[in-house]
Amino acid sequence: MKGREFRPTLSAVSITDSAQLQKDLARVALGDRAAFARVYQATSAHLFGVALRILNRRDVAEDVLQEAFVSVWHHAGSYQAASGQPMTWLISIVRNKALDVVRSASMRHETAMPMTADGEEMEVHDERPSPLQLLTQATEAMAIRGCMEALDASHRQCLALAYYQGMSHSEVAAHMRAPLGSVKAWVRRGLERLKKCMENSQ
Amino acid sequence: MNYNRADLLDRLASEYVLGTLHGAARRRFEKVLVESAAARAAVQGWEQRFASLAASVPPVVPSLRVWTATEARIASTAASVAAGRGSPRSWWSSFWKPALGFAFGAALTIALVQLMPGAFVSLDELAQRQQALPQSYVGLLLDREGLPTLLISSTRHGTRVTVKSLRPVAVPAGKVAQIWALPKDGAAFPIGVAVPAKPPGSTSFEMSATSEKLLSNVTRLAVSFEDGPARAGATPGEFALIGPCVKLW
Repeated sequence: MKGREFRPTLSAVSITDSAQLQKDLARVALGDRAAFARVYQATSAHLFGVALRILNRRDVAEDVLQEAFVSVWHHAGSYQAASGQPMTWLISIVRNKALDVVRSASMRHETAMPMTADGEEMEVHDERPSPLQLLTQATEAMAIRGCMEALDASHRQCLALAYYQGMSHSEVAAHMRAPLGSVKAWVRRGLERLKKCMENSQ
Repeated sequence: MNYNRADLLDRLASEYVLGTLHGAARRRFEKVLVESAAARAAVQGWEQRFASLAASVPPVVPSLRVWTATEARIASTAASVAAGRGSPRSWWSSFWKPALGFAFGAALTIALVQLMPGAFVSLDELAQRQQALPQSYVGLLLDREGLPTLLISSTRHGTRVTVKSLRPVAVPAGKVAQIWALPKDGAAFPIGVAVPAKPPGSTSFEMSATSEKLLSNVTRLAVSFEDGPARAGATPGEFALIGPCVKLW
């Protein structure tokens, strides 16, 4: 971190920290609780941000974060440094747990309400960047914004709603007031485009 | 379906990671994942792509309750896992609990009696207990008005630290009570995060090394309120509690 500005919005965990995080996860696998505390300190705010986006409720997102970290404690041994960045692994754990919760009927009802009520995006949380803004920022940081913007905004919007808000196809369709079949096709095109853009930028 | 197998696999993997693959299709794909290395590789590829998208999500600091609850849950498994593995730590973990429990009561008495002689027990009783005391490090942290607030103790060769609350500690929301060791010479270093219990309760945490290693040159302990557990090399904020750390042998 020395001599380098911390940029929480685009790089929650810098490359330097990533190496440290790998070491710490290896120590966590051996039952090192100090290393576990370091992993928590370095990643919890970013992971909580991800969970909160999907769940929209602090208490539920905090429960998910707790479950995720307990899971990290038990499964750190299954994380292999060769298989990717530690942050990728951690985000997958948190997202999967958040999606499990959000797909349960009662929870989805509560989280979906504020977003679908007006049909417009994010009035309830309008101080936060919209999913499409998040997608734009992320693709900008990866230098693939131009490539992604060859897609219709509505296609990108579908991808952003599904990824950042954890919406299902039918929720995206309801949110965008578009036919389910179109939404499925748009999401698929968004995914294909994303993969292509990222491959070309490498 | 006019996809060849690799394309189909990649498409399913993408929607699986995105979360739009659900219900029976999701469960079927999870079965495929168990059997197919290609499917797992496809999922990993998509997890990496999506992790880059997650980088733009603004971080939000969770409340302290997440950390304390998580720590409490892993603490209960940490001891049983160690015992199950038969690791060198296991005999300690079965030993320190009763030993420290007793040492703790005795240490508390001694520390307080040193400060407030005669207030607690007779010197005879104290002498009797002292014979059975294991070697320990004990810190008594005072608040800004000089009132004994936390009693911190750990056996000489143990890594577990017990934090006994004598007075309530108000940890500000979103902050953690970070415990610092202040050596005779040199900079303060963090030894762990305390979650102060309601008096007269106590909680505990694990240090990265034994008390003997970490505390033999430490003359004082202190608590500051930090945004999260401090890393090695970090500089402490303002101390809310501070007090002497002594060897009990």
